[in-house]
Amino acid sequence: MLSTITSGAVYGMHSHLIQVEVDVSQGLPCFQIVGLPGCEVREARERVKVALKNAGVKLPPMCINVNLSPADLPKSGTMFDLPVAVGIMTALSRIPKEASADTLLLGELSLSGELKPVKGVLPIVREAARCGIRRCILPAGNVWEGALIQEMESIGMDNMEDTIAFLLGKETKHPVVCQNKEVDLEALRRQNMDAENLDFADISGQEGLKRAAEVAAAGFHHLLIIGPPGSGKTMLARRLPTILPPLSLEESLEVSSIYSISGLLQSVASLKTTRPFLNPHHTITGRALAGGGRVPVPGLISLAHRGILFLDELAEFKRETLDILRQPLEDKKVQIARSTGNYIYPADFMLVGAMNPCPCGFYPDRERCHCTPYEIRRYLGRISGPILDRMDICVEAVPMEFHDMAKHATGERSRDIRGRVLMARERQKQRFNGTGIQFNGDMGAAEVEKYCRLGPAETGYMEKMFVKMKLSARAYHRILKVARTIADLADSGEIRKMHLSEAVCYRGMEHKYW
Amino acid sequence: MTEEDKAYVHWLYQAVGMGNRGLLRGLEEIGTPREIYQMAVSGNLKEKVSKRYHNKITHVSESAADYDVQGEYERMRAQGIGMVSMAEETFPERLKDIPDPPCVLYYAGRLPSPKCKTVALIGARDCTEYGRYMAGRFGTELAKANVQVISGMARGIDGIGQQAALRAGGYSMGVLGCGVDICYPRENKELYETLVQQGGICSEYPPGIGPRAILFPPRNRIISGLADAVLVIEAKDKSGTLITVDMALEQGREVYALPGRATDPLSSGCNRLIRQGAGLVSAPGELLQELLADYHAEETGCQQKLSLLSEEQQKIVRLMDINPQSAEMLQQKYGEAYHRHLPYPQLLHELLQLCADGEVKQMGGSYFARCPKW
Repeated sequence: MLSTITSGAVYGMHSHLIQVEVDVSQGLPCFQIVGLPGCEVREARERVKVALKNAGVKLPPMCINVNLSPADLPKSGTMFDLPVAVGIMTALSRIPKEASADTLLLGELSLSGELKPVKGVLPIVREAARCGIRRCILPAGNVWEGALIQEMESIGMDNMEDTIAFLLGKETKHPVVCQNKEVDLEALRRQNMDAENLDFADISGQEGLKRAAEVAAAGFHHLLIIGPPGSGKTMLARRLPTILPPLSLEESLEVSSIYSISGLLQSVASLKTTRPFLNPHHTITGRALAGGGRVPVPGLISLAHRGILFLDELAEFKRETLDILRQPLEDKKVQIARSTGNYIYPADFMLVGAMNPCPCGFYPDRERCHCTPYEIRRYLGRISGPILDRMDICVEAVPMEFHDMAKHATGERSRDIRGRVLMARERQKQRFNGTGIQFNGDMGAAEVEKYCRLGPAETGYMEKMFVKMKLSARAYHRILKVARTIADLADSGEIRKMHLSEAVCYRGMEHKYW
Repeated sequence: MTEEDKAYVHWLYQAVGMGNRGLLRGLEEIGTPREIYQMAVSGNLKEKVSKRYHNKITHVSESAADYDVQGEYERMRAQGIGMVSMAEETFPERLKDIPDPPCVLYYAGRLPSPKCKTVALIGARDCTEYGRYMAGRFGTELAKANVQVISGMARGIDGIGQQAALRAGGYSMGVLGCGVDICYPRENKELYETLVQQGGICSEYPPGIGPRAILFPPRNRIISGLADAVLVIEAKDKSGTLITVDMALEQGREVYALPGRATDPLSSGCNRLIRQGAGLVSAPGELLQELLADYHAEETGCQQKLSLLSEEQQKIVRLMDINPQSAEMLQQKYGEAYHRHLPYPQLLHELLQLCADGEVKQMGGSYFARCPKW
């Protein structure tokens, strides 16, 4: 007899529903799986056989054929254990066909028949919901991921025995059923925020740096901070997530999906409610940063999607590693080509770099810095021009004076700064309604042309600045984008001279260092 | 000395190589370069020179064998490079009376005129904004008073002073520590080309010799040697500039120094020179008065018309000087001076407007300095 069970798999960021077809017929006893199964899928045979035995099901000596359809997609992962087991039971007529109809099944089996959590549940369940499936049976450890999806009834199971009992309509010992459970994102976010306990008020002094951070956060502009050691660069970067606009539910699910694929979602508490903040060590390889591997996995730039990728000691990163970022910074996604297909991961992150101005860190303080101009040039030369070009805002951290440290931090709290950021975000939302653009930082040349119109006085002012500050055409566009954000922060519809001035300031560094 | 003779001198210089003054002197004793060449070709050079040069002379003998003396010299001349030996009249008079003068001088452009006064404008490579400004100001004023500026075309003070002198239409000579056909440092390419056009480049080393650390201290004696007076703009306590000063003193040149703040490491060398008796010079006029008998000081004070600026801008400019300060520092100073808080974005705006007007210079993301005018 033939049975068909719905399951799913993740390819890059795309999920596919996979039909697990099981046929049990008379013949020499065998058990085979076809449909491009990977190693772990092939091993499902052994796990399923033993798990069923330990769940009290005796398999008759028959010919069992399993096909994973569509058969031309390579399958990997352990989530097919449960659908294969249920498929066999259904094909043997031990479970009625209707019991598993219109139900998504995912789960790994242990030999004892226990159901273990698997990776990528969230994106698969999202895809299933999109295809009209309204019920899913998941390992108890993953059930909350399914529960995040509206209109989806998620049933969590501990073991094979319970699953069979449930499908037969019997009372089970520990049914974990989540139905359209509202996940309170706001509560989670607050909880996560409090856990971090970071605040802008911790930073004393550095008004300029804080202002630049506010502008960067409001427009999602890439930010480069240059300054001597101990001036608060890292401290500031760590606090950036506290002033960023919160993730919407849709964004939260999108980001969480990436984490789910990477197996980084352990519990409902690890659901991504705040914008991710990643700060890899500078010895990171290009592959770890951009994603890769024989079976590609998302890299850090994808894990930082809709959040911050903070590269501390930017100049210490290998140049090749940094240059890998060039294309994702432009396309906001990263494409990994493998013989099994093209994997595309989103990578729309805010790049925040921090670095010293020279190898010893104290340039231009000539009393402390003994680096030669050649050394300084070589040090800064590790950051390629194209990367530098993509930094909308460059800002200098000034060395900390004693009185800065001695006076108690009286700076603004993150909450207040965030209030202004949110207001600027609201303006951007209205402006870009329906264009697919979220932030000023995402604008291309055409959008800059459209949304960053200058009045005659401002145009004249910029003309003067262009000559005086030796700006390039590219820098000019970046300045307009940043000026737009500054205007948004000031709740101004028009870009005024004052906004332009500040934006120009954030480009002034190249003349000094590069 | 005929051009033909000079060709032999050129050969001898190339054959002997750098850092072999002793051998050169030994050879001079036995004959003119032409005679030495003929001895080398006929193979009896070794017998003629004193025994202690024997191990070094082989190289000279060998190089004569397949060397086109006149051809090589013509080729060099065609590149616009001249050579002048001490025996000639055109050899700079000032260099003749220094201890250990260079025997020949290779040059491009023209040599300094003996009729006009010359000043060596020297200083640190990694100079401060103050040094940068002062070098520019002295370079300009000296050029305007028809004083020739001698320097080493190095990064920092040297280059800035020379550039300013040339811009003001004056004459300047760059003394190099490598062949005159090589521009070192490379970033001064533009200055190098202007010097060849409008001033001069000279070196005691034959063309083709690359820059090497040991070649630079000896060239400093030519810088001070060519000058009537030496002015140090900025120097650290242990600075290469002080080598030039030592040489200048040895040669009997007047040494002047520009004073700086006691806390500034880049002025400590200058301040020490003043304590040791160097002339204190704080404006170009003071130096020119010492140098030129008929110099009448014009009012060259650092006066700026602030009245054209808005009140707020005037307030800000008053807090600034030519040493860069961070905008944050200015904001703090503003608060202390005028008892009013100036919001950061507004301060940036005012500063940028001042930049656009040319009153202020942005020195990086958050540092600003005043642009002095003279």
